[in-house]
Amino acid sequence: VVVLVHSPLPRLRALIQRCWGRLERGLWPGVFGDHSQPWGPALAMQGLALVPQGINDGGESSAVAPSPLESVVWMAAPKQRRTIEVNRCRRRNPNKLIEIKRNIDVCPECGNLKQKHVLCGYCYAKVKEETRLVRMEIYKKERGPFNAPTVETVVLYEGEKPTEEDEGKRIIERARKRPSWFVQN
Amino acid sequence: MRLSVAAAISHGRVYRRFGLSPRSRLDLLRNLVTALVRHERIETPWARADEMRGYAERLIDYAKRGDKDERAMRMADFWLTEKDLIHKLFKVLGPRFQPHPGSYTRLLQIPNRDGLDRAKMAVIELKGNPLPPLIRPRRDSDKTLLNQLLKGYRQDAQRAA
Repeated sequence: VVVLVHSPLPRLRALIQRCWGRLERGLWPGVFGDHSQPWGPALAMQGLALVPQGINDGGESSAVAPSPLESVVWMAAPKQRRTIEVNRCRRRNPNKLIEIKRNIDVCPECGNLKQKHVLCGYCYAKVKEETRLVRMEIYKKERGPFNAPTVETVVLYEGEKPTEEDEGKRIIERARKRPSWFVQN
Repeated sequence: MRLSVAAAISHGRVYRRFGLSPRSRLDLLRNLVTALVRHERIETPWARADEMRGYAERLIDYAKRGDKDERAMRMADFWLTEKDLIHKLFKVLGPRFQPHPGSYTRLLQIPNRDGLDRAKMAVIELKGNPLPPLIRPRRDSDKTLLNQLLKGYRQDAQRAA
């Protein structure tokens, strides 16, 4: 890179000359890390014309070398714009699309869709609601926290009598007809 | 030879990490075990239910030993934070699971949570609980080919006998 700079920067040139002199003589070892005495430019940079000999010239046509004091961090950058065709190929590649699920089935009880290894949402909501009502009855019977009974519990619906195996159990009454899916044992 | 394991590798570790610290993890699991013994069916994230399952089953194994056992009583005292459940554990759950050799809990996955996190949820319940059943065991219908053939075979055997 050849830059024509006129005399407005004599101080800068003088500074550069002094720094370069010190570098040359090895009196400034901290710049590029620890090198042994004879050292050359550590980086090969395009267009950086280091002309130490030409500094004492009066001519301004010589290049003002960008000093090694400038930052020399080179980062990767795309050279060309990616066309929309290339972009589409990358974005629509099957490994980037959402995987299709093949484990969806129909619940045999209610006919809603469900995943094969998961409970049906509708049937579970039904059971959850019934469990909530049973628990409300239990809470009414226990009349307070920390009163867990020391006997088993059995849930009976309208018009049902406890059988022989429900002998010593606590009975929870539910005021409705027994649902078809809750089979009495 | 590398003598230490890098921080990000967890090969062979069986316990999941929960909460703020190992002590907090145990407290969390303890709360879940207490809730399970009290309500006999709880709905929690799947990872917590899976982790808690082992502890709950071991607690029931201790309960089967009977409440005269000093070790069993100390375990129940630690794991159940609500002390009326210790009575329930030894008097109800112990006798209930005495004939079973193992696997006293049932872990089933339910649809993901409705909130923003869409967490994988599960419901864990003790077997033999009085609540309405979650799954209805289905028997094959009588009209299938195999069942009709078996029925015919049974009838022939009966007629021959």
